Amino acid sequence: MTATTQSAKAGGARRAAKPKRSNAAKRENRTGWAFMAPFGILFALVFILPIIWAIYSSFFRQVSEGGGAYGGGELVNKFVGFENFQYVLTSSNFWGGIGRVLIYTLIQVPIMIIAALALAMVIDSFVVKHITGFRLGYFLPYAIPGVVASIIWVYLYNGQISPIVKGLAALGINVDFFADNIVLASMANITTWTFTGYNMLIFLAALQAIPHELYEAARIDGANGFQIAMKIKLPNVRSAALLAMLLSIVGTIQLFNEPQIMQTADPGISKSYTPMMMAMNTSQGTLTPGGDGPASAIAIVMALIAGVLAMAYALVERNVNAE
Amino acid sequence: MVSHNKRFIAALASVAAMGIALSGCGSAGGDTASDGATSGEPVEITYMHRLPDSEGMTQVNDIVKKWNDEHPDIQVTATKFDGNASDMIKKLETDVKSGEAPDLAQIGYSELPEVFTKGLLEDVTEEAAKYQDHFAEGPFNLMQVGGKTYGLPQDTGPLVYYYNATAFEELGLSVPTTQEELIESAKKAAEQGKYILSYQADEAGNMFPSLAGASEAWYTVEDDAWVVNTETAGSDAVASVFQELIDSSAVATSPRWDPSFDASLQDGSLIGTIGAGWEAPLLMDSIGDAQKGQWRVAQLGDWFENDGKSGPDGGSGVAVLKGSEHPAEAMEFLDWFNTQVADLVSQGLVVAASTEAAETPSDWAEFYGGQDVMAELATANDNMGEFTYMPGYSAVGAAMKETAAKAVDGSGKVADVFATAQSTSIETLKNLGLTVAE
Repeated sequence: MTATTQSAKAGGARRAAKPKRSNAAKRENRTGWAFMAPFGILFALVFILPIIWAIYSSFFRQVSEGGGAYGGGELVNKFVGFENFQYVLTSSNFWGGIGRVLIYTLIQVPIMIIAALALAMVIDSFVVKHITGFRLGYFLPYAIPGVVASIIWVYLYNGQISPIVKGLAALGINVDFFADNIVLASMANITTWTFTGYNMLIFLAALQAIPHELYEAARIDGANGFQIAMKIKLPNVRSAALLAMLLSIVGTIQLFNEPQIMQTADPGISKSYTPMMMAMNTSQGTLTPGGDGPASAIAIVMALIAGVLAMAYALVERNVNAE
Repeated sequence: MVSHNKRFIAALASVAAMGIALSGCGSAGGDTASDGATSGEPVEITYMHRLPDSEGMTQVNDIVKKWNDEHPDIQVTATKFDGNASDMIKKLETDVKSGEAPDLAQIGYSELPEVFTKGLLEDVTEEAAKYQDHFAEGPFNLMQVGGKTYGLPQDTGPLVYYYNATAFEELGLSVPTTQEELIESAKKAAEQGKYILSYQADEAGNMFPSLAGASEAWYTVEDDAWVVNTETAGSDAVASVFQELIDSSAVATSPRWDPSFDASLQDGSLIGTIGAGWEAPLLMDSIGDAQKGQWRVAQLGDWFENDGKSGPDGGSGVAVLKGSEHPAEAMEFLDWFNTQVADLVSQGLVVAASTEAAETPSDWAEFYGGQDVMAELATANDNMGEFTYMPGYSAVGAAMKETAAKAVDGSGKVADVFATAQSTSIETLKNLGLTVAE
C-alpha cells in the first residue's frame, strides 16, 4: 500500500513538475544553442558546405565546348554522372597511390607505435629521473610543422650536402635515400621522427593513470619490474594503443607533406604518388583529366576508404574491450 | 547548371569579400573611388604578378607609384602572388568565376592557351595592335591564341649556355659548337671530375620541348584539330645526346631546383649548364662570389639538330582577364609598365619590349667578366625558333619530368620522355574535349 501511494505520489509530483522543468529546459536549450551558434555556423561554412559542394561537383567534368582547336574559350561544366568515380576506381595511378599508402601504413605505424610505447614505458619506470625533460625532448619534433620537418630531412637525405650521407660514405656505406626502393622508407622515417613523441605522450598519460596500489600489490606478491610491465602496464594501455593506432592510420592516409616536399629533390616522385597529392594535382590540372570534378571524386573515394577503416577500428575496439 | 554554379560561388565569394570590405572600411577612411568612369573619378586597375621583388630590385609597387603619380585618372594597385604559377592560375580561375578577378595578371607563355581554354581571358586584339611595335614580334605572338591577342608580353626566356670560362681554360676546352664536340668535351671534363652540362629532370618539361622544338613544332593545328608530334628530329637528338652523356657519367644529374644543384656549382664540379635567360641573376646567387668574374653567357651550339637555334623556356606576359571593366585603360597601363625596361631588368627579366636596349646591370657585368650579358641574351632572343604550346600543357610537362627522372637512375631512357609527351598530350587534349587529328 504505502509503496503504491508513494510511487503514485512521486509519479504525480513528477507529472506536476514537468511543465516547470521543461520551461527551464527550454531556456537551457536556448542558451545551449546560443553558445553553439558560433561553432555551428563556422562548422557549416567550412566543413558541411564544402562537403556538399564536393559531392555536387564530383558529378561534373570541366570540358571545352564550342569547337575549334582551343574550344570556345570557356570550360563548361558537363554533367557526367558517375564517370569521375569510374575514372578514379579504374585509375592505376589512384590504386598505385593507395598501395603505397598501405605499405607505408603497415610498416610505419607499428614501428612508431612500438617505439612510442617503449619510450613511454622507460620514462614511466622508476629508473628515469627528471621525466619532464625527457617528455619535452621526445615531444619536441611534433612542435615542428610537418612541411618544415620534411624540408630539414630532405637536406639530411641529399647526397651532395648531407652530413649523414657523407658520414656513412666515409664508413664505406653508400646510401641513396631517394632510390626507388628506399624513398618510401625515407618518408616513413620523417613521419616516425615527427610523431613518435606525440604518441608517446598518449601512452605516458595512460601509464600514469594506472593506480600505484597495483604495483605495490604486485611487488608484495613478488613480481619483478619486467613482470609488472608485462602483466599490469601493457594490458592497461591497450585502449590508448588502439587510439594511437587509429590516429596514425588516419594520418598516414593523408600522406602529403613528405612526398610533396621530397619531389623537389626527386622529380621521379609522381604527381599521383599518394591519393592526396593526386587530388591536388588533378584540381590544378597537372594531371589529366584535370579540374574540380575528378579531384572531388578522388577526395570522396578517399573519405569513404578512411571511413571504412575508422569503422573497422570501432569494431576491433569493441571486441577488444568486450574481452 | 553553369549559371547556378556561378551564383553559388559568387555567393560564397561575396561573403568573403564582405569581410574584406568591412576591414577595409576602418582603415581607408573616406576613400571610395570604385565606380570610376561614370562619376568622373579615377578608373581603378588591379594587377597581379609574381615577379621576384627581392631586395636591391626596383620594387613593382614603386614602378606602379610612378604611373599613379603621372596618371591621376587611372590608378593601379599591384599585388604580388606568393606561390607558383599553377597555384596562381587556380586562384584566378575561382576569381574570374566569382567576378573578383584582377584586371591584369601575369601568365606564362606556355600557360596562355590553357588559361584561354579555361575561359579566363579577355580579347584585347584591337587595343594590343596599338602597342604592337613596342615589342619584339616573337613574344608578341606568344600572347595570342588562335589569332586573337589577350595581353602584352613582358619577358622572354631564350635558352643560352652558361659556363665558367676560367675552368674551361684550365681544362683546355672551348664552348662546343657541334654535337660531337659537345660529347667529346663533356667526356674530357668528366675525366677531371667536372661537368660541362647538367641533365635537369625537374626542368625537362620546359627545357626539352624548347631544345627539341627548335627543330620542328610539336603542336600544330590543322582544320581545327590538333596535330601532335613530340618525337621530332630534335627530340631524337636531345634524347641521344643526354643518353650517351648519362651512360658515360659525363653529365651532372642534380635537379635544377634542388639545393644539390647549387652545391655542385659552388664546389666547382658543375662548370657549364644550359639555362633560360632569366636564370642569369639566379645563377649568380647560386654560384656565389668565389667564382665572380669567371662565368660567361654564350649561344647554344648546334647540339640538337636544330641549326643552333634556341627555344623558349618560361617567359611570360600580362593578360587582361575576363570581366575586366576597363580593358582599354588596363592595356594603356600595361604598355607603359612592360616598357619600363631598366626597372624590369632590375627584377631579373629579359624584357620583351623593343623600345630601348636593355642595359646589363653593373653587378651582372661584374659577375660575368665584364660581358654585355643583355646583348648576348638579345641575340638569343632573335635566335629563338617559334614554339606554340597546347592547352593543358601543365599535365604534359609534369609527366615529362617524372619520366625524365627515371633516366637518371637507369630505370628508363631519355627517349621515353618524348614518348610520354606524345601520349600525355593526346590524352590531355581529349580530356579537355578538344579534337585531335590522328
